[in-house]
Amino acid sequence: MLETPATSSAAGSHTSMYNIQHQPSAGGGASSLPPTLKSNPSPAPAHLKPKTTNVRRMRRIISEDAEWSLAIVPLLTELCIQHIVKNFQNNPILKQLLPEHQQKVLSHLPPDLPLKVTANLIDDENYWHRCCVKRWPVCHVAKHGGSWKRMFFERHLENLLKLYIPGTTDPNVILDLLPLCRNYVRRIQVDQFLPPVRLPTPPQTEDQSDSGSEGEGNEPEKDHYQLDALVAGLKCLEELDLVYGVKDCGMNFEWNLFLFTFRDCYSLAATIKACHTLKIFRLTRSKVDDDKARILIRHLLDHPALEELDLSHNLIGDRGARAAAKLLSHSRLRVLNLANNHIRAPGAQSLAHALAHNTNLVSLNLRLNCIEDEGGQAIAHALETNKCLTTLHLGGNELSEPTATLLSQVLPVNTTLISLNLSCNHIGLDGGKQLLEGMSDNKTILEFDLRLSDVSQESEYLIGQVLHANREAARQRTLNPGHYMSPITNNSPEHSVG
Amino acid sequence: MNPSGNIGVIEPNGEEHTLIHGPSVYSDNPQERIQARRLRIAARQEARRREALGEYLDGKKESEEDQSKSYKQKEESRLKLTKLLLCGTELVTNIQVATDIREIHRRVEEEEVKRQRLEKLENEVKTSQDKFDEITAKWEEGKQKRIPQELWEMLNTQQVHCAGLIEDKNKLISELQQELKIKDDQYVKDLKKQSDDISLLLERMEEQVKCMMKSFRQELMHIEKAFESERQELLSNNKKKWERALQAHNAKELEYLINRMKKVEDYEKQLNKQRAWDCEEYNMIKIKLERDVQILEQQLQQMKATYQLNQEKLEYNFQVLKKRDEESTVIKSQQKRKLNRLHDILNNLRTKYAKQIKQFQEENQNLTSDYKRLVGQFKELQKAMRHFAIIDAEKFREIWLMNEEEAKALAQRAFDVDRVIHAQHLGLPWEIPDFWFLKNVGPISIQQQKSATQILEELLLQTEEEGIDKSSEDDSYMDLPKQVSAKTTKKILMLLCDESGFLIESKLLSLLLPLEKSECYLLRLDAIFSALGIESEDDLYKLVNFFLQYRSHRLSSAQYSTSTHTTRTSLMSTMERLSLMSQVDRKSLTSKSEVESMDQETLQGGNESLVDKELREEGLSSPRLIHPNDVLKILEAFVMGLKKPKDIRPVLRIKKDTRDNSKDTEYWTSLAMVIPLSKQSLWDALYKALEKYYLVLTQRAKLLMENDSLEQQNAEMQSLLQQYLQAKVNSELQIPPTQSFRMPTK
Repeated sequence: MLETPATSSAAGSHTSMYNIQHQPSAGGGASSLPPTLKSNPSPAPAHLKPKTTNVRRMRRIISEDAEWSLAIVPLLTELCIQHIVKNFQNNPILKQLLPEHQQKVLSHLPPDLPLKVTANLIDDENYWHRCCVKRWPVCHVAKHGGSWKRMFFERHLENLLKLYIPGTTDPNVILDLLPLCRNYVRRIQVDQFLPPVRLPTPPQTEDQSDSGSEGEGNEPEKDHYQLDALVAGLKCLEELDLVYGVKDCGMNFEWNLFLFTFRDCYSLAATIKACHTLKIFRLTRSKVDDDKARILIRHLLDHPALEELDLSHNLIGDRGARAAAKLLSHSRLRVLNLANNHIRAPGAQSLAHALAHNTNLVSLNLRLNCIEDEGGQAIAHALETNKCLTTLHLGGNELSEPTATLLSQVLPVNTTLISLNLSCNHIGLDGGKQLLEGMSDNKTILEFDLRLSDVSQESEYLIGQVLHANREAARQRTLNPGHYMSPITNNSPEHSVG
Repeated sequence: MNPSGNIGVIEPNGEEHTLIHGPSVYSDNPQERIQARRLRIAARQEARRREALGEYLDGKKESEEDQSKSYKQKEESRLKLTKLLLCGTELVTNIQVATDIREIHRRVEEEEVKRQRLEKLENEVKTSQDKFDEITAKWEEGKQKRIPQELWEMLNTQQVHCAGLIEDKNKLISELQQELKIKDDQYVKDLKKQSDDISLLLERMEEQVKCMMKSFRQELMHIEKAFESERQELLSNNKKKWERALQAHNAKELEYLINRMKKVEDYEKQLNKQRAWDCEEYNMIKIKLERDVQILEQQLQQMKATYQLNQEKLEYNFQVLKKRDEESTVIKSQQKRKLNRLHDILNNLRTKYAKQIKQFQEENQNLTSDYKRLVGQFKELQKAMRHFAIIDAEKFREIWLMNEEEAKALAQRAFDVDRVIHAQHLGLPWEIPDFWFLKNVGPISIQQQKSATQILEELLLQTEEEGIDKSSEDDSYMDLPKQVSAKTTKKILMLLCDESGFLIESKLLSLLLPLEKSECYLLRLDAIFSALGIESEDDLYKLVNFFLQYRSHRLSSAQYSTSTHTTRTSLMSTMERLSLMSQVDRKSLTSKSEVESMDQETLQGGNESLVDKELREEGLSSPRLIHPNDVLKILEAFVMGLKKPKDIRPVLRIKKDTRDNSKDTEYWTSLAMVIPLSKQSLWDALYKALEKYYLVLTQRAKLLMENDSLEQQNAEMQSLLQQYLQAKVNSELQIPPTQSFRMPTK
């Protein structure tokens, strides 16, 4: 499949550098989802030691063997440590040892010990690093908060969930893991849920049935794995990134494989409602239509922690958009992504109405919808009063000159918007000129995308000049914190569209 | 719609996050990132420093000028890089945008196609429905038909209709399937296109990364070069500055050094001076302190010795005290025992005492009753006594008269005898002695004594009258002592009055001023006498006598050096007499015998005393009687002498109430001594002489007879002697006794 060179969020630790060097050789197994917006609370502290290989590669200096000894007969402590390592599975002794001996034992433990023994006993990052490296060729520890242990458990759990087949796989496979990983898993990122097997053969080996699939489409039992028990058991779950679909189906494609049933929807809604620590919820590419979106959003109303909701690449229409608008005023949502849905003018109007008085939302993405001029004008009106939104994406929305006119009036008034995307619209030459006028009075917008919008090159260039000036001013502001500086500007680059 | 489309759209979505706002921090190349980060840090530090200096706005221009090279280079690089980055990201994202617009176009087309299809289907549905309705209507008709032929016909037509309907449907289906096939082809094409897009995207990204890396490296090099050159400049500038400063510093240092050396020399001199001075002082103090130490050591030794001594003493005392303590404990126990015993006794005594109180109260009652009775008896007794006193007085008088008669008769006989003796034996003429008491009849009543003031009055009056009649002098002064004349007395008194004015009160003095001289003297003397305690006549005379004797003593010691012995004796005698007088006091003063003895003594004193008296008389007349300075001394001595007698006086006073019988004895003794002692002694001497005369006579007779016998013997003896002398023996002797003694003249 596709590989993701997008590792930008891994800004700076030594470890990540090492991993990036491996990146080109990595297969498509890595997550294709965008990296999280969430800032990693703490970089991993103990990441300098396990880098012996790294050091060798970087400096071409092979250090002497620290454990080399003249003694012919090994020391008793050495023997004891070897024995402990050998019998660790049956008799794990670690906490009772001296720190130096602990270190030795950990460095000699095999990475394939049962998790039951190691999960709650070993905190040493070095060991978990070895486990991860052994299991997965590509390890992106920065995506997991810099913790190898967390990464191991998250990816382990992810693998289990990906391969879980309802009805055939024993649910205890996952639930047994729960007490071991409950303290470490913060994110569940699953991009495939396998449907229950109707035939003795698994779906992968199922024969293609082009015509037969239509007739069997109404089979009721298509529910996927129910996450509720798992999520309830995870104490510090913060992010849920789900795709109800099947990957690598190849020529075995069937529409049934991509069914997000109502029962799934209800159970998922209850699950996320019960999870009070959840901050980020993503449900993409899962054929979520208006009704399911309403169900989900109804359960998300007044959620204590939720900050980001991503329902892109679904089938949400105006009613779903209206529900999302309601959610805006009933939660502390900061990021809302409804890209590539079926929202039209009424949905956009309701969203604009909610946006007009919202004080939490920072980013709104309505890419690839069809809000047209009516919706665009409503949103432009909302920007007049909104004091919070910094990023707005309206690319590919059939907008034309009236919206541009209104926006050009709003732009001088609004002082919070930083990034605006109007690409792939039919703004036209006059609209471009009007937008240029509006932009000439604006001092805050740093990014303004007007590609493929039928705007004349001249106005596009002039807008680029204004943007450049604004960027310089913003840079001066960041260099001199005495001036006003929006705290979001530091994070905003990731949302920007070049 | 279809999954592939979804996937195709997703990819650029993921791309979004790789887009970078900052220069190159998010670049894929680690080297680039590091450099970018360094740049960023440097920029931040720079900004911070500028801000700290507080000259952001003003300082910007200056700093631009100052660090023109590096700053300019940096700005240049930054702008270049950001531009490059923007262009790169735009280039990359262009693919996404293009996909988006393609998708939109596809959607629009799709919608159009869909609409047409729907319309077509709807038309189809309508037409087929119509046809179907027709057919179903015909079924109703067919049911009514009874004729098989008709029915068959109708069924045939129905079949034809149905076949037509199905054909229509099949046609539609084939059409739709055709469309689907086209769509499938389209999908495959889309997939291909997508993969192409993705590969293009990857290519572009890689290119971008490489380009960025290269450009970042270049820019970094430029910046480093700029910094290097600037650093060199700065270094050289600073070096120059430093050298200049160092030179100045060295010059100053040298100056300071010279100053310091001078100062050091000065201080050294001062120090030496100070040191010498201190040394001397130190020696002096040392000597002194050593001496002190020696003294203190001596004292210490002494103190030690005394301490030891004291210790021993104290130990001894301690031992003694211990013993005493033991003793005292013993004594204490004894005392306790005693105390207990005494307590017992006290209790007993208390009971006894209570008893006795009762007893005594009873006795007291008895005695008071007795006393009352006795008082009554005493009053009766007094009455009786008064009665007896009157009777006794009468009896006394009778007895007195009787005894007087007898005494007078005896006196008469004595006078007779005396007369005989005088006339017959002595041959002297005899006169009848005239005594006052011989004329007295009855008990003697004593007249009052004169007070001192009265005498004074008299005295003064007499001295005034002295010149007028001298003859009366002797008579009036009979009661004064013989030797003291009135004149001298007055003189003495005047002197006293003058000298002892301090004894008079000041008030009195002021009162006396207007009075006459004599009266003035009188009052003054009165006051003085009252102060001195002189009340009676005798006191006055004593005083005068005292003065005289004092004076005489002075005179005798001063003037008569030749006859010192005699004067002293006389003085002694007078002194004795005076003391005797004072001691004997008034009672004995008047006693006759005393007076007589005194007379005798004076008589025995001889002629010298007489001469003295004469001389004294002469001295009295001399103006310098007594030196006024001596008056006070005399007075003091007098007062001292007068003290004792005064104490006795009160006792005497009491007796004055009763009848004064002091004169009685005098009277009776004088009556008994009607023949004075001189006469008696005369008588005695006469008697003795007569007896001696008689003895001589008898002896004469005896001697006459003896003489006769002796003449006889003498004659005989002479004859004998003659015999012996003539004897031969005498011749035989070598020395004859006759030769040794002369032969009595015979």
